[in-house]
Amino acid sequence: MLMTDHSPLYRSARERGYLLCTDCDKLHRISLEGEHCDRCGARLHSRIPNSMNLSWASLLAAILLFLPANLLPIMTFRSFGQGEPTTITGGILHLLEQDMLMIGMVVLIASIVVPVLKIIAMTILLCTVQFRLQTNLRQKTIMFRIIEWIGRWSMLDIFVIGILVALVQLGNIAHIEGNDGATAFAIVVLLTMFSALSFDTRLIWDKRAPDLPPGMTDKKDEQ
Amino acid sequence: MHGTPEQLIACHECDLLIARVTTNPGEDVICPRCHARLYYTTINCIERLLALSVAGLILFIPANLFPILSLQVFGQSQSEIILQSAMSLYEGGLPLVALLILLFAVVVPLFQLIALFYISFTLHYRRQGRLLRQAMHSYQHLRGWGMLEIFLLGVLISIIKLKDIANLDIGLGLYSLGALIVVITLNSLYFNPHQIWDEIHQHRQRGYADD
Repeated sequence: MLMTDHSPLYRSARERGYLLCTDCDKLHRISLEGEHCDRCGARLHSRIPNSMNLSWASLLAAILLFLPANLLPIMTFRSFGQGEPTTITGGILHLLEQDMLMIGMVVLIASIVVPVLKIIAMTILLCTVQFRLQTNLRQKTIMFRIIEWIGRWSMLDIFVIGILVALVQLGNIAHIEGNDGATAFAIVVLLTMFSALSFDTRLIWDKRAPDLPPGMTDKKDEQ
Repeated sequence: MHGTPEQLIACHECDLLIARVTTNPGEDVICPRCHARLYYTTINCIERLLALSVAGLILFIPANLFPILSLQVFGQSQSEIILQSAMSLYEGGLPLVALLILLFAVVVPLFQLIALFYISFTLHYRRQGRLLRQAMHSYQHLRGWGMLEIFLLGVLISIIKLKDIANLDIGLGLYSLGALIVVITLNSLYFNPHQIWDEIHQHRQRGYADD
């Protein structure tokens, strides 16, 4: 028998009175919520506690810090007294001007495209759960898997700054130093990673409000 | 769907409850609703992890002690090991960025290798393992936070950025780093949490762990 994403035959463990240990994948009775798993010792929760609050908070903080991250300079290159601070965008434009198209694209994707897409995707996912949207759930789950995997690559620019600063310390001849924009950008990446980490994908598939305690059902469940 | 918890399994990504089926090596159990991979069997999982974690720990030494790149301008030269990226940024007044580089490129990968070595050694040689569960939790929660492969891409970008203004020499450290990344990638490929937790469970039942 062919079942669609929303087959009425599909029931979550939570609806059936079970909960899954997220660390060792052992299934328990839902009455053990808050206890420790007897196999691995982790604390058992049917859903990540405060998932929505933590995820929203990290995401909003990341959006706010995205401005200073892109407006403040991330590093300064000085050679014989010449040179001025560059921002992330400035660095990419510089690479493109010098016909380093490939590298420019890599940095553009890692530093701007990926964080922006990740922020948009997390907003979509959080709205899906918040407003209990019931469309394209599988696509949304796949989207989450992609951004969860790709988000860490935004750290690329931070590593490049670290390497250049350590390598180019030749006094007057050439000298590179890091600036505060790098700190802001590193925190943006960190916050988006925290946002994805706190987000519980199982909430996407729940047909009830995320903050309803286990065992309680609301009317939407009866359909 | 009814039964004891042992006969059932829930999808960790969408919480769908399904009946547990037995698998042969090479077969995956996929969630019918969200298509997440639920569980599978890895042949010689523990032994592979033991070999790879030993290789990783050995490679970690040259990758961190030998220079990754050296730069020469007007007779002056400067070489760099991974740790110096963090140190220079710390001295340059960006302590937080320095800390993140230290964590993601040095501490986390090392800690994961040690945890994996401890897990696989203890399970393979059936030693007392007081910290087995803690080691597993640490390794699982640190997945994704070790970023050596991103660091390597950063090195390549730095090479291209600097190649016009200075002479660059690639050091032994960079080759070791490349090999280390291959080992770490294979590690996460063969790391089968389901299977290892089963092994730890059996290990404890045999009385090897006493915490």
